[in-house]
Amino acid sequence: MKIVVAVKVVADDQDIFVAGDRTLDYSKAHQVISSYDKNAIEAAAQLAAANDGTVTVISAATSKATDAKLKKDILSRGVDELIMVTDDALATADSFATAQVLKGIVEDKVSDYDLILTGDGSADFYAGQVNVQLAAALGVPTINEVTSIAAEGDKVVVERTLEEEVEEIEVPLPAVIAVSPSIGEPRIPGMREILAAGKKPSTVDELAGGVDAKIEIEEIKAPELAPRKQQIFEEGDIDAFAAAVAEALK
Amino acid sequence: MKAFVLAESTDAQRALCAGARTIADEVVLAVVKGAPLTGVADKAYDVELPEGQPVENAAAGVQAAYEAAQPDVVLVEPTPRNKILAGLLAAKLGTAVVSDVTAFDGDAVTNMYFGGLAANKQKASGAKVYTVAGTAFAEAEATGSDDVETIAYVAPEKALVLRGTKAVPREGADLTKCDVVVGAGRGFAEEADLQMARDLCAKVGAELGCSRPLAENVDWLPRNLYIGVSGLQLAPKAYIALGISGQMQHMVGVQGADTIIAVNKDQNAPIFKQCDYGIVGDIYKVLPALIEAL
Amino acid sequence: MDFALTDEQELLVESLKEYADRYFDDESVRQMYENHQVSAEAQDAYRDAGFPFMGLPEEVGGIPTDHVTLGLMTEKLYEFTGAMTPFMTGMLACADLAEFGTPEQSAVIMEEYEKSGQSVAALCLSEPAAGSDNMGMTMTSKKQADGTYVLNGQKTWVTNGADVPYYIVICKDEEPARENNKMSLWLVKRETEGVSTAHLTKLGQHTVPFVDVFFDNVVVEESQRIGEAGAGWLLLMKNFEFERCLVVAQGLGLAQAAQNDAIAYAKERIAFGKPIITNPRVQGLIEQNEIMLQQTRHWLYYCLWKLDQGQSINADIAMLKSWGTRAHLQIADNAIEVYGGLGYTEEVRVGRIWRDLRGNMLAGGTCEVMDYIAGRAIPKLYK
Repeated sequence: MKIVVAVKVVADDQDIFVAGDRTLDYSKAHQVISSYDKNAIEAAAQLAAANDGTVTVISAATSKATDAKLKKDILSRGVDELIMVTDDALATADSFATAQVLKGIVEDKVSDYDLILTGDGSADFYAGQVNVQLAAALGVPTINEVTSIAAEGDKVVVERTLEEEVEEIEVPLPAVIAVSPSIGEPRIPGMREILAAGKKPSTVDELAGGVDAKIEIEEIKAPELAPRKQQIFEEGDIDAFAAAVAEALK
Repeated sequence: MKAFVLAESTDAQRALCAGARTIADEVVLAVVKGAPLTGVADKAYDVELPEGQPVENAAAGVQAAYEAAQPDVVLVEPTPRNKILAGLLAAKLGTAVVSDVTAFDGDAVTNMYFGGLAANKQKASGAKVYTVAGTAFAEAEATGSDDVETIAYVAPEKALVLRGTKAVPREGADLTKCDVVVGAGRGFAEEADLQMARDLCAKVGAELGCSRPLAENVDWLPRNLYIGVSGLQLAPKAYIALGISGQMQHMVGVQGADTIIAVNKDQNAPIFKQCDYGIVGDIYKVLPALIEAL
Repeated sequence: MDFALTDEQELLVESLKEYADRYFDDESVRQMYENHQVSAEAQDAYRDAGFPFMGLPEEVGGIPTDHVTLGLMTEKLYEFTGAMTPFMTGMLACADLAEFGTPEQSAVIMEEYEKSGQSVAALCLSEPAAGSDNMGMTMTSKKQADGTYVLNGQKTWVTNGADVPYYIVICKDEEPARENNKMSLWLVKRETEGVSTAHLTKLGQHTVPFVDVFFDNVVVEESQRIGEAGAGWLLLMKNFEFERCLVVAQGLGLAQAAQNDAIAYAKERIAFGKPIITNPRVQGLIEQNEIMLQQTRHWLYYCLWKLDQGQSINADIAMLKSWGTRAHLQIADNAIEVYGGLGYTEEVRVGRIWRDLRGNMLAGGTCEVMDYIAGRAIPKLYK
C-alpha cells in the first residue's frame, strides 16, 4: 500500500515575537513540522505497518524548510522517503495554490499512490482545506475528521468523528483523507530511527513555474486586544477578588 | 450584492443569513441535510440528499445551487462537512476558501494567524468563499421569504459510501446559551479535581467548558466543551478561566465575553493581560475560598 | 574544537523532552516518588522509543552509541524529568551482561524487554561489611559434588533491586577470606529458591528502590557464571569509569533542573518591590550555580570524549565525581536558598532534588574513595 502524507513546515510560533508596531519578528523562529501533521504521519506509519506499505512525505515548502535536521526529524517518524519542492512564496500560499504544487509532486513522483493523508489544519493558517483542494485537483474523493482507517482492498473504511455522531464511511481509493489529531499520538522518535533517518532518500527541488496564489495577503499583524480592566489581586486578597467577581456576575 | 449562505444547524442558518444582510442586499440560503429554514433568506435551496448518503456526496447539488444563484459572496457555517462542500465549490471556481473569517472590511476579510497570535487581512482575487461563525456578526435579525427551490441530487463519480452512524450523546450543556461559563485548564492536576470547578459552576449558575488539552490530550471533558480556535466561540456575560494560561488559541473563543475573570498561579501568564479581574494564586487554594466567599 | 551537537543528538534531545513532557509532569513524578517506582506506562514508553537499548551491542539487540551521546542522554533525561529514574543503572547492568556474558545469557535482555519496559537486571556488589572495602566481601559460591554451585551471603544497597527479573551478583570463589581475590559474576533470577529481599528506606531517590538481597543456599549452574571464573572483579572494574560518568551526568541534569527552577522563581518573586532576580545576593547564588554547572558539564563531556577515543579517564573521573557530585548538591542547596522558606517545603521540588543529589555523592564509590584513586593516579600523569 503506497501512502503519501502532505506535510507543512512552519515557523515555530514559540519563537515568533511581536514587535512594538504589532508586526511579527520571525528572525529567531526555527522551522518545524506543523503539529497536526505529525498525527497524520503517525496514522500513515501505522497503516503502512499494518498493510505492508510505504510512507512518502511530500511538502510544498520554502527554502528555509530544507534544513538537514528538519528532514531527519520527518524521516525518523516511520517515513520511508521525503520529497520537497521549494518556493519561498509557498510560505503564505493559499490552499488552492498549494494543492496545485502538491498535485505536481504527486503526478511526477508518486503517481501510483493509494492514499494521501493530511492533518487537521496547519499550525499557521488552520484552514483545513488542502485535502479538499488536492482531492479536487486529482479528481479523487476526500473526507475529514477521520479518527481511524482500515484498509479493505480497493477502499478504506474510516471512522469519521463529528460532534454528535460518528460515521463509518467507505472511501474508494485512491483518495485524500484529512485525519483528526485524535487518530493517534505521534511516536517519540527513538535513536534507531533518528540514526537511520539520515540515510533515507530525500529530494529537494526548486519549484518550476511559480505559485498561483488566489488569496492576496494585505497584512499580518498582532491583534489589538480589546481593552480589559486588568485588575489583578494577590492570593491573600481573596475577599476583595470575590467581591469583584460577585459584582461582575450580577 | 448577493450573498449565498451554506449552513447546517438552524442557529447558523439564522445567524449567517442575518449577518449576510449586513454585507449584502440579497441573501439566499442553501441547506443539504434537512429542509432549510424559511423566512430568513430571500430564497432557499433545499439540496437533495437521499437517505443513507453522506452529506459530502451532495457537493454537485451545492454547486448547482451556486450556479443558479450567481452570488457575489459565499458565507459558510464552519462545520467539517461544510469545509468539504465549500472547498469543492471553491476548487471548481478556481479559488480557495478563506476560513474562519472574523471581520469584513469591503473586499478584505480578516482571520487568525497561528491561532490568534496575529490577524491576517487578505483579499480573494476571484470568487469569495468564506467560512464564518455566526458569532462573527453582532446581534442582527434574519428576514426573508418562504421561497424554496429543490436542487436534485447528482451522485458523484467516485462516491463515498455511508455504512452507518452512531450517535454520540451530547455531554454537557450548550455553552453558547449560557450567561456564565467556567473554563478549566491545565492548572487542574487530576480529573477528580474538576469537581471544584463544578462546585463553582453550581454556586454561580454556570456551565463548565475547557481548554484544548483537557478535551484532547487527557480526555477529561468531551470535545464539544472545548473553547477556542477550533472549538466553541462564546460571548457570555462572564467567563471565569481557572488554571488557564491564556494562549490566544483558547482566548479567541471568549473574546466576546463582557467580563473575563482569571485564576492562575503564574503571575506572568498571558491571561492576566486579557482579563478584567484576576487573582494570582493556586486554584486549589483560591477556588474553595472563592466558592465560600461568593 | 567543535562543541556543536550533531543533528541526531539534537533530535534525540527533542525526543527526550517530548518523553518527559508526556510522562513526567509534576503530579506524575510526585506519585512515582510516593509509589517508589517509575510508572509502568513511562517504563514501557521508554522501551518503545528504544532508549534502553542505547549503549548495548548490536549482537544483543542494542543500538551502539558513543559515550558522549549516552552522557548527553542521561543529562537531558534527568534535567527534563527532574527525577531519579532506574534507566541508566538498568542499562549499565545489561551492558555488563552483554559484554561479559555468553549469547545465551545476554538473550534474556531482549526476552525481558519484550514483556515490559521494566529494567532487566541489578548489580549486587556491596555487603553490610564491605562497601568501599570490596575485598572484604564474604558472600561465596561453593562447588557441589553434582557440579552445581551454592551461593550464600547477603548483598546490600542494591540499586533498583526490588522488581528486576535478574541479579548480576559478584561473590568470592569458594573462600570468603580477604586474601582470596578470586571472584566470579553470576546471573541469578530474582525468583529463585533461597533468594529474598528486604526494602531499605533511603532519604531520597525514592523512585529507584534500594534493597538487601539475601542468598540462602541458592543453587546455580556453571552456565550462570558470567565470564571467566575468578575474573569477576576485573571484569566489573572495566566499566566503573563510565558508570561514574553517568552518575555525574545524572547529577548534572538534576542540578540544572534545580537552577532552572530557581531562576524562574527569582524572576517572578517580588520582594521589596522588585523581582528578587535583580538582587545582587540572589545573583551571587545563581552565578555560583552557573559556574559549577558549566564546569562539571565541560569536564564531563571531556571525560566522555576521552572514553570514545579509547583513553582511560581513571584520574579525571575520580576527580570529577568527587568534586562534581558535591558541587551538584551545593547547586540544589543554593536553589533552596533562592526559594527561601518555600524551598524547604514539598510545594516545590528543589528539596526533593537536594535529597536525591546527596545520594549521588555516594553512588559508584564515595568521594573519599575517589580522592584516594585520584591521589595515587595524578603523580603518574606527570613525568
